[in-house]
Amino acid sequence: MIEKSYDEINQKIRDGDVVVVTAEEMVEIVKQKGPEKAAKEVDVVTTGTFGAMCSSGAWINFGHSDPPIKMQRVWLNDVEAYTGVAAVDAYIGATQLSETRGMEYGGGHVIEDLVRGKEVELKAIAYGTDCYPRKSIETKISLQDVNQAVLCNPRNAYQRYNAATNSTDRTIYTYMGTLLPHYGNVTFSGAGVLSPLHKDLNFETIGVGTKIFLGGAQGYIIWEGTQHNPRSAFGTVMVIGDLKQMNARYLRGCTIYRYGTSIYVGLGVPIPIINERVAATAGLSEEEIKTNVIDYGVPRRDRPVVREATYAELRSGKIEIDGKEVQVSPLSSFKMAREIAQKLKEWIEKGEFTLSKPVKLLPRDTVFKPMREIAKVPLVKEVMTKQVITAKPSDTIAYAAKLFAEREFNHLPIVDEKGKLLGIVTSWDLAVALGTGREKLSEIMTRRVITAREDEPIDSVARKLELHNISGMPVIDPLGFVKGIITGSDVSKLLGRK
Amino acid sequence: MGIKISLKYSLEALKKPIFAEVIRSTSAQVNILYASMDATRGEILAHVEAPPLEIDRIIQLFRERGVDAKKLERVAELDRDICMDCGACISLCPTEALHFTREYSVELNEEKCVACEACVPACPVKAIKVTKA
Repeated sequence: MIEKSYDEINQKIRDGDVVVVTAEEMVEIVKQKGPEKAAKEVDVVTTGTFGAMCSSGAWINFGHSDPPIKMQRVWLNDVEAYTGVAAVDAYIGATQLSETRGMEYGGGHVIEDLVRGKEVELKAIAYGTDCYPRKSIETKISLQDVNQAVLCNPRNAYQRYNAATNSTDRTIYTYMGTLLPHYGNVTFSGAGVLSPLHKDLNFETIGVGTKIFLGGAQGYIIWEGTQHNPRSAFGTVMVIGDLKQMNARYLRGCTIYRYGTSIYVGLGVPIPIINERVAATAGLSEEEIKTNVIDYGVPRRDRPVVREATYAELRSGKIEIDGKEVQVSPLSSFKMAREIAQKLKEWIEKGEFTLSKPVKLLPRDTVFKPMREIAKVPLVKEVMTKQVITAKPSDTIAYAAKLFAEREFNHLPIVDEKGKLLGIVTSWDLAVALGTGREKLSEIMTRRVITAREDEPIDSVARKLELHNISGMPVIDPLGFVKGIITGSDVSKLLGRK
Repeated sequence: MGIKISLKYSLEALKKPIFAEVIRSTSAQVNILYASMDATRGEILAHVEAPPLEIDRIIQLFRERGVDAKKLERVAELDRDICMDCGACISLCPTEALHFTREYSVELNEEKCVACEACVPACPVKAIKVTKA
C-alpha cells in the first residue's frame, strides 16, 4: 500500500525531482503499470477544463467617489451588477444581459474586457443618505483603478455533464447549444479524460483550500460547488482567484445563441497521487467515463435519457441514435483543456506552484434536491378538451364550415382512418380558402402541426402558443394519435385562476 | 475541383431566363447554394464544378447577359485569433467543412462550405464570418 504525504510531494517540487504527468499521460501509465506502480512513480497528475461555466462572476470594490455614494443599482457597460451589499461592492454575474445590447453582450464579456485591460463604463444610482449624499454617478473604470476584483464562481468544473440531443421536429436553442430536429446532432460538455473532478473521483484530495489553476492565475477551491452531487459523479467546486492576475486567454465571455451570455473559464486542478486509489481514478480513460445523452426537446426537469455514451464515443465526433449516425459537437475546448493541464504541469515542474493540503475535504454524500414547489404546475392532460372533433383529408371544406358553425370551436385536427394526426385546419384557414375554388380539406390543411403532449406542463404550451403565434394545438401521444386539444383560452383561464 | 461564383442581377436581368440559358450551354456541374431577390435586385451564390477555362467562359456568358458575375475566393472565414477551439460549430455543419484536426483545433475546409451560415450565430465568440456576395 503506497501512502504519500503533501509534505513529501512539496519537498520533491522544491528539490526539482517531482514527477508530474497530465491526466492523459496518466491513462497510459496506469494501463501499463497498474495503479500501485503508477502511485509509486507519479507524484502529481494535472488536469484541465475550458468550458462555459454560467455560475461565475466577480466581486469588485470600486472605491469611494467624492461626495460618496451608496450604490443602490450599478451597471458596467450597461450590464447590471448586484450591489445589495456595502456601498461600493458589487458582484457582476456572467449571465446578466446588457440592457442595451441584449444577448450579444453580458457579464461574462464585462469580465473578459476588464481582464484585457479595457476601460468599462460605470453607472450607478442611489437614494442618498446623510453619510452617502450622492444620488448618481457615471465614470470609467479599469481593473487597475478598482480595489479588489475577485473572480468568485459558485459552481464550476462539473465532474462530467449530460450530452444533449433533440427528438422534436424543430430546432431548439438551449444552454447546450443549437440542437437540430429529429436527433440531428448531439452536444456535450466537459473535458472527459482531463476533467479535474473526475480524476479524483472519490474526493480524497480535493477540498477547501486546494490551490488550482484559475483563469491563468493561481486560485483556490473554497467550498463544494452549488448542486454538488458526488454520488452521481456530478460533483462541483466553488472557486476564487484574483481577477487582476488572470489572463483573458483563459476567461472568455460568450453568447450561447438564443439562450444568453456566459463565460468560458479555464480551470485546472493538480491531483496529488497520495495512494493507489487516487492513482487509479486519475488514470481513468475516456472509455471508462460515461454520461447520458438526454432529450432536451422535453421541457421538463427530468428529461428522458436517449442512450448512454462514453466520452470516447462522444469525442470520436459521431454516435449512433436510432440506427442513424449523428454528428457530435463538444462545447468545451479539449485543446484548451490540454493546454491548461500542460501549463499546470510546467508550473509544478519549475517549482512555481506547490500543492496545498485541503483544510477540509469536500462532502461525498450530498444530494442535489429539486425545488420545493407548493403549487403543482398543471399538465396538459388536466386542462385539454378530450372530446375532439376531427375530420379526414378527403372531407370537404363545406363540411368543416358546418362543423365549426354548429359546434363553436376553431381547431379541426385532420386524421387518418386510425386517428393519427395528419394536419390541422382552423376557422381562419376556412375563411382564407373561401372563394379560392378549393374543395377538400387536404388542400388547405397545415401539415407541419405544432403539437403538445399529455404530460407537458401548460407553461410550455403557453410558450409555444406565443412563439408560433397560434391559438391552439392538438395533443398527441408518442405514436401521433390525437388525444385532445388545448387552446389559448384553456391556458389563460387556468393562469387567471392562480 | 470547383469554385463558388457570385451572380448579382439588376432588375432588368432578373426578368430574363439567363441562368437557364447559361446552364444549357455548358456541361459544368452547377449547384445553387443561395438565392434571393427583392423588388430591385437579386443575387445567387453557386458552386461550379468545371475546368478553369470553362469556369471563365461561364462567367463571361453571365456578364454578356448583364449579370455581375465573379469568382469568390472564399465565402467563409474562421478567425483563428478569436476561435477557442470548442467545436460548438462542428455538429451544425452539414458538409463537415468545419472539423477538428488531430490536435483538436477547429479547421474550416473552405472548399466544402456551402454558406448555409448555421455556424455563424452558434459560435459562442463570433469567430466565423460568411460572405455570400
